[in-house]
Amino acid sequence: MTDSIDLGLNLLDHQLLDAENRRCGKVDDLALEGGPGEELELVAILCGPGVWRGRAGLIGRAAAWLGGGRRVRIPWDDVAEVGSHVKLRKRAAELGLGRGDDRVRPYLDKIPGSDR
Amino acid sequence: MLGRLVETESGRRLGRCRDMRAALGSGGPKVNALVVGRRGRLEHFGIGTPKGQTPDAVPWEAVVRIERDRIVVRDGTEIV
Amino acid sequence: MKIFQVALGILAAIGGFVDIGDLVFNVSAGATFGYQLLWVVVIGVVGIVVYSEMCGRVAAVSGKAVFDAVRERVGFKAGLAALISAQVVNLMTLTAEVGGVAICLQLLSGLPYRWLIVIAGVGLLVVVWVTAFEWIERIFGYGGLCLLVFAVAAVKLHPEWGAVGHGFVPHVSAESPLLYTYFAVGLLGAAMTPYEVYFYSSGGVEERWGPKDLGLNRVNAMIGYGLGGFLSFALMITGGALFLERGIEPEFLGSITLGAEVPLGQIGLLLALVGILFAVGGAAIDTLFSGAYNLAQFLGWEWGRYRHPRGAPRFTVTWFVLLVLALGLVLTGVDPVQLTEYAVIFSAVALPLTYIPIFLVANDRTYMREYTNGRLANVLGLLYLVVITIVAVTAIPLLILTNVGQN
Repeated sequence: MTDSIDLGLNLLDHQLLDAENRRCGKVDDLALEGGPGEELELVAILCGPGVWRGRAGLIGRAAAWLGGGRRVRIPWDDVAEVGSHVKLRKRAAELGLGRGDDRVRPYLDKIPGSDR
Repeated sequence: MLGRLVETESGRRLGRCRDMRAALGSGGPKVNALVVGRRGRLEHFGIGTPKGQTPDAVPWEAVVRIERDRIVVRDGTEIV
Repeated sequence: MKIFQVALGILAAIGGFVDIGDLVFNVSAGATFGYQLLWVVVIGVVGIVVYSEMCGRVAAVSGKAVFDAVRERVGFKAGLAALISAQVVNLMTLTAEVGGVAICLQLLSGLPYRWLIVIAGVGLLVVVWVTAFEWIERIFGYGGLCLLVFAVAAVKLHPEWGAVGHGFVPHVSAESPLLYTYFAVGLLGAAMTPYEVYFYSSGGVEERWGPKDLGLNRVNAMIGYGLGGFLSFALMITGGALFLERGIEPEFLGSITLGAEVPLGQIGLLLALVGILFAVGGAAIDTLFSGAYNLAQFLGWEWGRYRHPRGAPRFTVTWFVLLVLALGLVLTGVDPVQLTEYAVIFSAVALPLTYIPIFLVANDRTYMREYTNGRLANVLGLLYLVVITIVAVTAIPLLILTNVGQN
């Protein structure tokens, strides 16, 4: 079989790693363009609490609301490779990922020993 | 789309859509098959023969239309 | 170096296997049924060894911890269910353990309980913040070894060894079968508590295990949990030898330490208290991290003590918040020993959601390459899935029917 992947098995819910190997979220959903009779192409990875709404019914919507409802869209061009993780070409900050960590970090930096 | 029933135009049930298979190439992955049926489910969990060695999918070209609760494929489509 | 690496297994084992749930249930089981439930402990030990080895192997080969792989394998919906149930049980267990630490401190120092709750919480916070992962393991792992005093105590109490041997043979008690089964379920729930495997596998990733560490993983699992099992025997035998004929129900941690004090005097009491302090304290840290690991791994956040707090900010905040929540709950005056019983029984209910994904991942060639489960791991693994499903289904009915083990 030539290079092929199963979208649910190999992509969905997998860990995203940015260009510096930082963990920056999971593949929460996939954006496909096309339809029956024409080409169906995977154009982007979707990420963020707002994306969970469609995936787990009532609890998913509750979780989405708790998480703040953000949605991040990562165009497929920014994907470097798909292995056991999904490796991205850019750093998390450039893609809008890992913002929670960036926002919390300054507070932790004020406490001595946060880099040990 | 995952989880929806896959049926032919004349109503013959082929199974549930477990996954979508896509070919890597230039640009984004292009979906070329839907993984259907019980065989697909076991392999989904990684148990048993490696994927592709037993019939488990329906080609994308066979899909005629997508309805709210099912996916309709052309008559005569088989799981390959 | 090798010796220190085994410390991970010992901490996870002492802290996880001989946590407050095991202390309470093993001694209670001894006080109620003598040595008759020893065989159940054996089943629990084998079960946790089999599944820890699996988790450790998953961590070493795939570089992923259990919960990392859970969401990938079973999807968002089932993963979320597993997460929520794990966190609820975790918080109950953590609360009981923090309370247990406070009780130990009270028995050691005589200071007022309420102050010691705060001291316990702050102490755990400081230890976790300041100390590197490997040192946490060593301190609490080796400190917990003081619990070996119970093994000495068990011998000194001159139990009827024939009866003890008989206890290792599987059988059902003729009198109070319902209560007997409740204890069996509790012992298994306490032996295979979910947070143990979550912590163990994440610890393997923290220590950057690779395929070359698979042998170490096996040794860790067997020695660590084997030791825990041995200590559980000691606890049950002590409970049986000392409490059964006197009709004492060990409702307090203080009663449990009698098991060491009566045969060995003040030194026995001291060693028991120190041992329990480190074991339960270590368990508290295991549970605390387990809660943070699970959330971070499910959501894809950066995680791990090895990333340092500023490298994994939300992970750090998570364990901090969990600790504060547990502290708050202890301060409401809930009895840690009572809470422990509920925590163990609810853990039992959560067992299938924990172990089924592990079994699936350990067999998955895409994660494990050529290191998927061998025949033995699969046979035992499957057998235990059956056992824990039975345990999970019967746990709550038994809790109700026996009126929380009073009957």
